[in-house]
Amino acid sequence: MDKQEATERRLSREHLLRLAAAAGGAGLLSRADKAQAALDWLNAESGRLQVLDWAGYGNDGGQAMFAQYVKTHPKNKPQFTYMTNESDALAKIHAGLKPDLFRPYVGWVKYFATSGLVQPWDPKLISNFKHLNPFMVKAGQYKGKQYGIPDDWGFDAILYRSDKVTPKARSWGLLFDERYKGKISWFDDLEMLTIAGLYLGFDKPWRQTDAQLKRSQKFLMSKKHLVRLIWSSETNLWEAFGSGDLWIAYAWPNDWVQMKKKKLKVVYMRPKEKPIAWVGMFMLRKGSPRPNLAHAYVNAWSSARSGKWLEDNYGYGHANTLARPSSSDLLKALQLTNPKAVTEPSAHLDRDIPRRAVYARMWEEVKAS
Amino acid sequence: MAIADAGSSRGHIPRRRRLRVDLTTPTLLGLPLAWLAVFFLVPIGIVAAYSFDVYSLDPGPHSFTLTAWRDFLHSSVYLRLFWKSVRMSLTVSAIVVVLAYPLAYYLALSGTKRKYILLLLLIAPFLTSYLLRVLAWKVILGNQGVVNTFLFWTGLRSPDHPLSQLLYSRFAVMLVLGYIWLPFVALPIFVSLESLDRRLLEAASDLGASRLQAFRRVTLPLSLPGVVAAFLFVFIPTLGEFVTPSLVGGANGYMYGNQIVDLFGTGFPDWETGSVLAIFLLGVVAVLTVVFARFLQPRQVAAD
Repeated sequence: MDKQEATERRLSREHLLRLAAAAGGAGLLSRADKAQAALDWLNAESGRLQVLDWAGYGNDGGQAMFAQYVKTHPKNKPQFTYMTNESDALAKIHAGLKPDLFRPYVGWVKYFATSGLVQPWDPKLISNFKHLNPFMVKAGQYKGKQYGIPDDWGFDAILYRSDKVTPKARSWGLLFDERYKGKISWFDDLEMLTIAGLYLGFDKPWRQTDAQLKRSQKFLMSKKHLVRLIWSSETNLWEAFGSGDLWIAYAWPNDWVQMKKKKLKVVYMRPKEKPIAWVGMFMLRKGSPRPNLAHAYVNAWSSARSGKWLEDNYGYGHANTLARPSSSDLLKALQLTNPKAVTEPSAHLDRDIPRRAVYARMWEEVKAS
Repeated sequence: MAIADAGSSRGHIPRRRRLRVDLTTPTLLGLPLAWLAVFFLVPIGIVAAYSFDVYSLDPGPHSFTLTAWRDFLHSSVYLRLFWKSVRMSLTVSAIVVVLAYPLAYYLALSGTKRKYILLLLLIAPFLTSYLLRVLAWKVILGNQGVVNTFLFWTGLRSPDHPLSQLLYSRFAVMLVLGYIWLPFVALPIFVSLESLDRRLLEAASDLGASRLQAFRRVTLPLSLPGVVAAFLFVFIPTLGEFVTPSLVGGANGYMYGNQIVDLFGTGFPDWETGSVLAIFLLGVVAVLTVVFARFLQPRQVAAD
């Protein structure tokens, strides 16, 4: 327990008096349950819930998704630190940040589960758990334990301007199309090597051999001259795409929603090699002093009401199968009526990359080239 | 005897006064040195330790190794990126010095009474945030920015074919860096020129030198320390720059500094390689500073 946590747990004079009264009452009434209640109170979790999450999911617009938690735990409101990606979260935790919970995506479940940094959830404490998509729930498990509670989900696919671009095929190849030099945007992530692997027809793009990986890297390096922007923040992408600097981009459903809001003629294309599906997984940090509060927070996020809000406002899917968006376009694009939308045969569910460090280094070399 | 006297007289200094004299230097230097040690040398030592895998993010055993350094020195990709950044920084520094020199010359030697007001105007952009000044260029250079809109209006370009290489390009990075650093360059040159002994110019004139000859043989050599300082002022920070390239550089304007940031933070943290790149940059900058330091001394005016 660090100093901050110790301070938060220190009893104030008022708390001590209340505890004494409760214990005294328990003694007078000679009832074991009262004494237990007093002990429970003593052990009650205190302080603000520390959440490490992505921009847009905290007090910067995502309040509706955890409003229920704030209502029931007004003294333990969430305090947010933002992560730009999983490795950023990893670096922050290694540097000493102690969030109670954080949200990596499905491809990192095994990594974190085996890292010793997280502990499994107790699904019994999450009343909305039973409504969560079973395929996504399974994807959050490692060795039978629920390390990840699925929440938001979506696809990695291709966004393009239908008034400017004529794809030769419904393929990831549009990201490498010589005709649109200077109008293409890739995503700043080692996943680009996976996409290259999919495009080049490798059977296991997440587990490429050295030779395959070298070929994927060489391919990306040979096509990099076509790329105007390698985006790492959605706002950068929206700005460049919205102003016409870009016509084609690796994108998420929310990007499609945002560009439609700008009245641009855009298509969110599912490539024939299949899109990659991702699922956000809440993870509980090992040693968190507020596990019950973390469960309550995740329960609020897991409600159908939060899910509908997420779908309506961010254009992502939600793991709660009862959540339905107002827009039929989005319903269709995300295949929300299909419980297997994120997995075969509809899409490739993102997964663990055993040689992630090698992929990462090779991707960095692509950017540096 | 004189020495003995001196020693003897020193021996008569009251003890309290001697103590005060002895403590002055350590007191004055102690805090800044401690500050430098704790917040500069120690962090560099930690980064160096990461580069040799003495420290590591990975749990488990690890020990001193040169692997990351060997990989870096054998990686043509990282070294190529470094040279690309060196070329960009050199270009920016040279252009900015050439642009700033006449400006500083005018301000320092024209004798105008308003030179300090003009100097204030020159540094006025620094009253706003760095980020804001960089972002403003996006408004100017974008497809629907000021430049392209003007070109559409004049009919020189059609809206379907804007000048698209203005933004998210190497050009954009160099342009914005030049804009940002121009005042920094002008200031040391201005100071150098203003402290010039005007009598030297009068002497040159009396001896029959033309204005150009006086500039070439007197003004320029004497202002060189300011020029070199100005050049270093731009070159060193722009070599490790990452904010401007990440905002306006796009894929083509990616620089060495961006690579360091990305190795520490994106993909999969690779603090070993990131540390190697950072220490290498620090080493190169240190060597360059030592090399250029000899030019920072005021030079003798050529006698011939």
